[in-house]
Amino acid sequence: MPLLELRNIESFYGNVQALKGVSLHVEKGEIVTLLGANGAGKTTTLRSISGLVRPASGEILLDGKPITKITPEAIVRAGIAHVPEGRRIFPGLTVQENIMIGASGRGRLPRRQMQQEVEEMYDIFPDLKRLSGALGWSLSGGQQQMLAVARGLMSKPRLLLLDEPSLGLAPIIVQQLFATIRQIRERGMTVLLVEQNANMALSVADRGYVMVTGTLTVEGTPAQLLDNEEVRAAYLGGGKHAAAV
Amino acid sequence: MNRAPSRGGRATSESGVAAASSASTKVGGRSGHGKSIVLLVLLGTVIALLPFVVPLSPYVLNILMQATTYSIAVLGMTVVLGYTGQINLAQASFFGLGAYAVGLGTVVFGLNFWLTLLLGIGLATAAGFVLGLTTLRLGGHYLAMITISFQQIFDLVLVNWADVTRGPDGIAGIGRPSLFGYTLSDDRAYLLLCAAVLYLAIYLVWRLPQTRLGRAMRAVRENELAAEVTGIPTLKVKVIAFTLSATLAGTGGALFAAGFAYISPDNFNFARSIEFLTMVLLGGAQSPFGGAIGTSLLILLPEWLRFLKEVYLAAYGLSVILIMVFLPAGIWGLIRSRVAKYRKLPAIDEEAIPALDLDVPITDPSPILRLDNVNKHFGGVRAVDGISIDVFRGTVHALIGPNGSGKTTTLNVLNGIYKATSGRIVFNDRDITETAPHERAGLGIGRTFQNIRLFPSMSVIENVMVGAQRENNPLAAGHAALRERALSALKFVGMAANAELIVQNLPYGHQRLVEIARALAGHPTFLLLDEPAAGLNQTEKKALGELLKRLRGHGLTVFLIEHDIGLIEQVADTITVLNFGKKIAEGSPEAVLRHPDVVAAYLGEPAHAAA
Repeated sequence: MPLLELRNIESFYGNVQALKGVSLHVEKGEIVTLLGANGAGKTTTLRSISGLVRPASGEILLDGKPITKITPEAIVRAGIAHVPEGRRIFPGLTVQENIMIGASGRGRLPRRQMQQEVEEMYDIFPDLKRLSGALGWSLSGGQQQMLAVARGLMSKPRLLLLDEPSLGLAPIIVQQLFATIRQIRERGMTVLLVEQNANMALSVADRGYVMVTGTLTVEGTPAQLLDNEEVRAAYLGGGKHAAAV
Repeated sequence: MNRAPSRGGRATSESGVAAASSASTKVGGRSGHGKSIVLLVLLGTVIALLPFVVPLSPYVLNILMQATTYSIAVLGMTVVLGYTGQINLAQASFFGLGAYAVGLGTVVFGLNFWLTLLLGIGLATAAGFVLGLTTLRLGGHYLAMITISFQQIFDLVLVNWADVTRGPDGIAGIGRPSLFGYTLSDDRAYLLLCAAVLYLAIYLVWRLPQTRLGRAMRAVRENELAAEVTGIPTLKVKVIAFTLSATLAGTGGALFAAGFAYISPDNFNFARSIEFLTMVLLGGAQSPFGGAIGTSLLILLPEWLRFLKEVYLAAYGLSVILIMVFLPAGIWGLIRSRVAKYRKLPAIDEEAIPALDLDVPITDPSPILRLDNVNKHFGGVRAVDGISIDVFRGTVHALIGPNGSGKTTTLNVLNGIYKATSGRIVFNDRDITETAPHERAGLGIGRTFQNIRLFPSMSVIENVMVGAQRENNPLAAGHAALRERALSALKFVGMAANAELIVQNLPYGHQRLVEIARALAGHPTFLLLDEPAAGLNQTEKKALGELLKRLRGHGLTVFLIEHDIGLIEQVADTITVLNFGKKIAEGSPEAVLRHPDVVAAYLGEPAHAAA
């Protein structure tokens, strides 16, 4: 049984149909990436999974149990963490408090364990350690992005939804981040990743889907997708040379 | 307001007949607008004449008179709170200024009613202007506190300065005015006058959002910082809104005084201000119809609930709470969202949109921008630490560096969001170190933000029109020219088809393009872009690169922060690298991207291995 399964999901914003029957599955321990142009519905797919958008029809199953009708908070408790694009951090809390708040869905943790897990986040993002006492708003855009990802990881989700984690990060940090995503998988976490940097995403993914105006068109392994002329033309910036940049 | 000249302007605009005719269809709602006016006038006439046909008791007429005069004051709240997003808890005091001017003027000094009416309106307007000018810099809860204080002072003066105001006894025997030799002593005739003023006010307030001023107000409400940087003098707009609000309150108050013949301080205290606030929120602050509905409801509700006797106050409070909880956008918000479902968006004929004129002639080889030893310190943190950069005309200049190295702070100092701690910024041979952000926009500096700052609940085209309204934008006068400029800018970035959508419903990458269009609509000579490629996929990034090259081709200077090395290699003429607030390297992309310090601090592995 897949960890996550979407069956024919349709979602709307007002009268605009954003998802037109999306079906996909994510197996336990997999990294699956969603590729597609802006407006294709990738973010809406993630928002539908985490309950921020109510699908008009279709079914979403976590471990075979439907989660389509339950609240976003309940979905977090069921083990799905969503790191949205655009850095929604808490501006008036310190970096450390922002990180710790990520664990709030897991009940009361022993202080030592909390401390240890926060330290793990600092290992991944050393910049955050230096800033641990700083207030969220005072961070630069890229640092806020790191913080949002760290907060998502703290919920120790079974399934992590990452929406454009590399947005606004310096190249060296993007490399570290993707190295982290690989590590996360080795710890048994499952990841559904939306990323505009398709080359980067495919370099860590087990499988990928291509999304076009609300429907999934192509599914395959990174090698298959990279080989697909159409996919390359549409999302990887054209020919082989460009794909290397 | 500027509607009439705009129509004339469209017919004679140089853009040609085809564009002009398409603009008139695209302006959309214009024919629908005509229809709604007819409907409104009809409805108004029916309601106004009703009392002459159906016999109404003096009691009912009194309630109607109260509803109309209060509504006029509540429309002021629509402007200041609903449109501009500024809190005003002193509306009853402006209402009172109008009322006391009529009361004291006619009864004590024996002046003509119409003179005292104008006096009252003028007094309220002046008070609103002074209070607004001195307090609107603060905003938020400070503004709330200060308006409350003003209200309390006003109340104390009315009660205690009895020699002039007649204190708690109030003023009785205020007479009705005469019009064309006919005295409006009949309640129905006077009600007709109040209704006429109310309709005029509703019409003006209803049209306001589509004017330059109204768009500026809404932009201030939606995102004050972005509005300022886009070229809107935000303080001025807020003061105008506050003043207009006081004017409307004064008008309502003046009519109220003569309507009821008796006024006392109780009518104009803090509780009344709160009542006005509740009325506008209950009905829906975004529209004058909401204000009128909210006012009528709050006046009628107590009458309807009177049968409940002792629990009536509780029931009244409960009904208000329920409406607020279930209809956060007010009653009118509910009606509008129901109607919006059936409204068809006007189609955009992309073919008919003229190409965007962006040309900036380059005649001068000197740098367009010079940063001279600029510092920005936050307490002990040196976010920008003695940076000097020259940016040359018609080039693409990239600013790169690790996260937190001071790139965005540099941009913020550059366009005035932050004041430099020390150093000099020279733009086009003019020292702009102390110039306000909206004035810098007026000099031709456009900008986008790292974490997109659009005006979320406004449409795409409205967002871009705000950009086109910047001061000194070389543009024909009038609505049509603004709209056309905005459409051209949208077409330039490929977003014209989305013009009528609400901008917050667009995907992230498209919002970025709309933000660029907003900056371009102002015909900038210098464009600041903060991570324009973030959220775009490889193909879209390539298109963005082409767009930046096209901008450079038109003579624009582009100064951008970007992390996408592929894009920078594609477009940048010069790169400056920052680390810990200091410049660590500068030069051509080939040289800078191989600089060992840059590789160590920023790139990590060589750029090409990143994929």
